Amino acid sequence: MKPSELKKLIIGSLDENADPQLAAKRLEEEGVSFDFSKGFIDKVIDRVASGADSVNREIEFSRSMRIAFNRIAITGVAAIVLLLISIFIGEGSFSLNSFLGLGDTYDEGIICLLTGN
Amino acid sequence: MKGSYSQAEESELAKASIEGDKLAFGEIVQRYRRMVARTVKGMLGDSVFSEDIGQEVFIKLYNSLADFRGEAKLSTYIQKIAINLTLNEIKRRKRFFSTFSQKGNNEMYEYEVPDYESEEKRDASELVNKALARLDPKFRIIVAIRMLQGYSKKETDEILDLPIGTVLSRLSRAQEQLKIILEKL
Repeated sequence: MKPSELKKLIIGSLDENADPQLAAKRLEEEGVSFDFSKGFIDKVIDRVASGADSVNREIEFSRSMRIAFNRIAITGVAAIVLLLISIFIGEGSFSLNSFLGLGDTYDEGIICLLTGN
Repeated sequence: MKGSYSQAEESELAKASIEGDKLAFGEIVQRYRRMVARTVKGMLGDSVFSEDIGQEVFIKLYNSLADFRGEAKLSTYIQKIAINLTLNEIKRRKRFFSTFSQKGNNEMYEYEVPDYESEEKRDASELVNKALARLDPKFRIIVAIRMLQGYSKKETDEILDLPIGTVLSRLSRAQEQLKIILEKL
């Protein structure tokens, strides 16, 4: 096909009333074809498979993290409860001073402790 | 796993792929590979990026097959994914080139004419690629769908989710621009 005929075909293919399938077919016959490189299907399948593996790994990781977090959380809550009980037994209340361990000290007492006088 | 899916229906392939049958999914890739290539390469040109986008189209398809309800044709569904991913790539490149380069749209379309058995076919391929490279990216999509894929007006507006009036107006404007481009080639 001459270049002028090809140009006409290209422009004509966009006509409102043109048969686009016919134009596309003729263009393909003239060598206007598009395709991916060899091994394209294998690459896609490999990526799909590795994607599935990585998704499985992510699920496994998040499950392990959840189990670890649950164990840490339970131990942490138990430790906090024990601490609260020991504070209550030791100080007799849950006041700020008892939390800070300042139950029986006055300001002057602290100065004495710090200065040694 | 079945031995061969070459005669299988779309729905059967989709169902088997959802169940993890790679052979069935390979058949889908085989059937629609060239269709995706026409869209992606028609809009982006022939480059390594087009190959990557092509792969991403099928990976996205694989991951979203469970959402495919079979109301539309599988080819339309794939075509939509291909167009969306290619448009995203065009936007990304536009941002990149507007930041780092003063050149025009040509930079967004690369092509390499493959070896053909005849000089005539090579020239035809080169002419189309040159014309597409000079065409405004917003018109390339309509040209790729209409001229390279051979979709009807109705199919085009279904794929692009555009009213038929907009499709016709874009077709006409793309045709005008192509005429000017081809006169100079």
